[in-house]
Amino acid sequence: MDTTVYVPIDDDAPGAVAPSDQTPAVRARALTKTYGTGQAQVRALDGVDVDFAAGRFTAIMGPSGSGKSTLMHLLAGLDSATRGQAFLGSTDVTALGDKALTRLRRDRVGFVFQQFNLLPMFTAEQNITLPVELAGGTVDRAWFDTLVTTLGLSERLTHRPSELSGGQQQRVAVARALIAQPEVVFADEPTGNLDSRAGVEVLSFLRRSVRELGRTIIMVTHDPTAAAYADRVVLIADGRIAGEISDPTPEAVLAGLDALRSLEAPVTGTPSDDGTPAGA
Amino acid sequence: MLRITLAQMRRSAGRLAAAGVAIVIGTAFVAATLLASGVITRTTYDSIAAQYGDADLVVGATTDDPLDLDALAATDGVAAVAPVTSTDAELTDGGRSVYQSIVPTADERLMPLEVTEGAMPSAADEIALPTEVADRLGVGVGETVDVHRDVVDDGSWQQVTESPTVVGLLDDPFGAYARTGGAAVVDPATYTTWQSDRWGEPVAVTEAAVVVADGTDVAETQAALAETVGGSTSTDAPRWAVTTDERAAESAAELTGGQDLMFLVFVLTFAAIALVVAGLVIANTFQVLVAQRARTLALLRCVGADKAQVGRGVLTEAAILGLVASVAGVLLGTALGQAALWVAHALDVPVPLPGTVTLTWQVVVVPVLVGTLVTVGAALVPARVATRVAPLAALRPADSPTTSRRAGKVRLVLSLLATVVGFGLLGAGAALGTAWQEPTLGLPAGIAGGALSFVGVAVGAVFWLPKVAAAAGRLVGASGPTARLAAANTLRNPRRTATTSTALLIGVTLVAMMTTGAASARTSLTAAMDEQFPVDVVVTSAEYGAGGEQAALADELRADVAAVDGVGATTDVSEILVQATSGAGSVANWLPLTAIDPGAGAEALNSPDVLAGLEPGTVLVGHDQAQDLGLGSGDTVELTDTDGAVTVTVAVGASGYTNYLTTDDLAALSPDAPVTGMYLALDDDVDAASAVGAIQDVVADSGESAQVTGIASQRALFDQVIDTMLGIVVGLLAVAVVIALIGVANTLSLSVIERRRESATLRAIGLSKAQLRGMLAIEGLLIAGVGAVLGVVLGLVYGWAGAAAALGIMGDVALSVPWLEVGLVLLVALLAGLVASVAPARTALKASPVEALATE
Repeated sequence: MDTTVYVPIDDDAPGAVAPSDQTPAVRARALTKTYGTGQAQVRALDGVDVDFAAGRFTAIMGPSGSGKSTLMHLLAGLDSATRGQAFLGSTDVTALGDKALTRLRRDRVGFVFQQFNLLPMFTAEQNITLPVELAGGTVDRAWFDTLVTTLGLSERLTHRPSELSGGQQQRVAVARALIAQPEVVFADEPTGNLDSRAGVEVLSFLRRSVRELGRTIIMVTHDPTAAAYADRVVLIADGRIAGEISDPTPEAVLAGLDALRSLEAPVTGTPSDDGTPAGA
Repeated sequence: MLRITLAQMRRSAGRLAAAGVAIVIGTAFVAATLLASGVITRTTYDSIAAQYGDADLVVGATTDDPLDLDALAATDGVAAVAPVTSTDAELTDGGRSVYQSIVPTADERLMPLEVTEGAMPSAADEIALPTEVADRLGVGVGETVDVHRDVVDDGSWQQVTESPTVVGLLDDPFGAYARTGGAAVVDPATYTTWQSDRWGEPVAVTEAAVVVADGTDVAETQAALAETVGGSTSTDAPRWAVTTDERAAESAAELTGGQDLMFLVFVLTFAAIALVVAGLVIANTFQVLVAQRARTLALLRCVGADKAQVGRGVLTEAAILGLVASVAGVLLGTALGQAALWVAHALDVPVPLPGTVTLTWQVVVVPVLVGTLVTVGAALVPARVATRVAPLAALRPADSPTTSRRAGKVRLVLSLLATVVGFGLLGAGAALGTAWQEPTLGLPAGIAGGALSFVGVAVGAVFWLPKVAAAAGRLVGASGPTARLAAANTLRNPRRTATTSTALLIGVTLVAMMTTGAASARTSLTAAMDEQFPVDVVVTSAEYGAGGEQAALADELRADVAAVDGVGATTDVSEILVQATSGAGSVANWLPLTAIDPGAGAEALNSPDVLAGLEPGTVLVGHDQAQDLGLGSGDTVELTDTDGAVTVTVAVGASGYTNYLTTDDLAALSPDAPVTGMYLALDDDVDAASAVGAIQDVVADSGESAQVTGIASQRALFDQVIDTMLGIVVGLLAVAVVIALIGVANTLSLSVIERRRESATLRAIGLSKAQLRGMLAIEGLLIAGVGAVLGVVLGLVYGWAGAAAALGIMGDVALSVPWLEVGLVLLVALLAGLVASVAPARTALKASPVEALATE
């Protein structure tokens, strides 16, 4: 089956999917993950090759069960791969033991969760600085102030999570993910538990942190509106890369998804029938 | 609903099992106690029944109208008759002595004793001894033993000594005389003489054991005997003939009626404490379970379950858990009881114990009922919380359950009141005991105050204990982020932390109280004894001259005694009686003086203060003696003996009636006075009882007439009593501490399950496995440590107050801190807190970081 339903660029080399002029922050090579054995075996990821450029905001999109979360878990070193490699910079994440992975997550990776996952007994400030403290480092106050100001949390630092709105909680979580200045931030459905206004807020912050603060963010989402905030959308279906959209709009993303859904039927032509620029 | 309850129980089986262990231990305790009580009763019965030998019937009468043994023997069907009676006398050989029960020989069917060597006595100058007594006295078959017995004649008494020959050694296989340390046997005629001499008149036979002739019906003979004595076949009448079993059961009940009830109440008190602690553990578990199931409960409410059904579901669950755990507890208790009996048999305990425990219905029903009730009772509050879960909660997103329910004002006021009034009463009790010397008032006040204040402290724990934990958490939190996480975790659910710590607090407080009380009692009593009897061991001549003056203690013997192992400093003393006069006339005609060398004496005495102020030219008069004689420090007295006189200045000393003079002054006063005794100090590390025994042996072997006294052996005995009591009490309390520690582990693992996602988040943002393990270890340490430290502090206060209230009358109460024991208690608690975190940490580590990302 041809999974590359949407060919964005003319170059067919797998490593050159990214339209970036920089070294990729994260790379996957033949990344495969299977669950179970024998008849019950499920191939969640099937030899994925993909690059994520540094200083960019990339969204991974796909229908439920497409393998987008699994891809993120493997890239972030949260789960072990069955085959293939995942690189963070030049580090092969799949070759690391638990200790090294813990250190990698602490020092080089940030996470934003759908459920916020703040520690209820700590204040917003304590939650934000926790990763640095776990690493035994000292908090860079200037960076902390920048983050807090950018995220509009200055007035909320002494509040506990139960005293914050969902949007505020997620902004605290974003600050926590960024405090250690990680090479990349993984966000898993960051707006899934938020109303649309709070969602827009958080997405704007994520985009600002990429544009203004120079961070790298990889976001998993199934919401086309959220994906449209990214610089680039990677589509995934049935455990394989199914295409990508650069500088997406919600409409373009929707169209891409529609194309994925119609994969069952033979696909011809381009999905961007509404004229939205697709690819570079 | 029952099906749902069972399904929920299956899902929470692990949690429930952990909590159930607390109930299992508590009920096992109760069951084992009841079994032990049964064994005691049965052992008593067996030993009483054994006294009657193989008798079939027992006949009884009153002292006014005693039994005629000949008439009994002549009754139809009677094969043998023996009176049930005993007397006593002192048996000695050389320096060793034993106070011994003595019984007459009888038909062998009526003798519970077995001859192991030699034969039963058959003549007036023969005696048979229990093997252990013969060993202790060092006599064998064919040798003589001295019997010192009292002879009362017309109201005056004297002691006569006879020297019968030991003809047999006896064994007491059924423990018939185990309670009196065995029995010696003499022939009936000698026995009758000794017994009548002892009381000044013939002693009436009021009870006799009867063997029925072979082939005769026991009931028939019983009726015949009842007729002979003119009484009935039950003990209701003053004269009776009953079966041996009936009589033994009755005497056993008479004998132990109070005692085994006291034993039961005493031990069951500790079982109750253990069950209270188990109740706290159960309450905590159910609170957490209800919180974790909030969504399920809400769902049930949504689909139509009413409040009562939800509450009943929790209580049913508790009832099933209580029942299962209690039955397991009874099984465990029975197994432990049986194991204890096996061990006792293997160790050859001198008391004849039954081979197996007897399960009565009480042993099964009481623990099961109590265990189930405690479990259901502990689940009452969680059940009420469950009824408050709103149906709407099912629709809310699953967040960590909120349990920060505020504790009520009523509780605060009541606990404050109990604490304040309780400590007030406790203080009053201590003051009454010391300042007012009223222990009979002070002790009850102290106990009531202690109990009340402790209830206040425990009930109010939810208000202040988390704050203490917070302070402790801040202390350890300074050490790093892991510790700060742990400290924050212990605080997020104050009620749970408080309940868990309180469970431990109860046990630790009681253990600390007992050890402190015992240590204070020991120190106070030792101080009091040292003051009254300042010498470990005194050996004095028991020989007196014609004029009543004490004879010399042989030099050789003194050297031998000083060479005994364990004897430290010694000093010779001369005891003389002198006349004392002052300017105002005669002070005392016979003033006893102990001449001693002040330097050597100070080393041989326990408290050197006793000789403070003794120097040549002074006489140190005991303060009670000085008061009696009207002497004060600085007075001048002239001491006169037959051979000389000295004028000395009076100094009032610390001892009561002992007066000291220096050996220098003695030389002037009574140049020929012999050394009549010696003071010995025992080395600190020796067993006083065995050292005193060794000294007694040396004295006995010397053939000299000398007396060995001193408080060393008494003090050792006394220490032993305190240590034994303390050991038993602490052992019993340890059960409560163990249950509380299970509670700590249970609380931690429940928290870990609740914080599954949080642990995963922490792992995702960079908490290492070691850090997660460390966080839980610190949590365990905090919960256990706070309970243990507060328990020790409270226990010290209670122990001191108790010692002050009870012992104030004996003089100054020394409040000592049993550092070793306190340290041990803290160490055990902290280690257990650490160990309690191991299993939960393993569970927490299983949560992969991926779970933090999972939505549900």
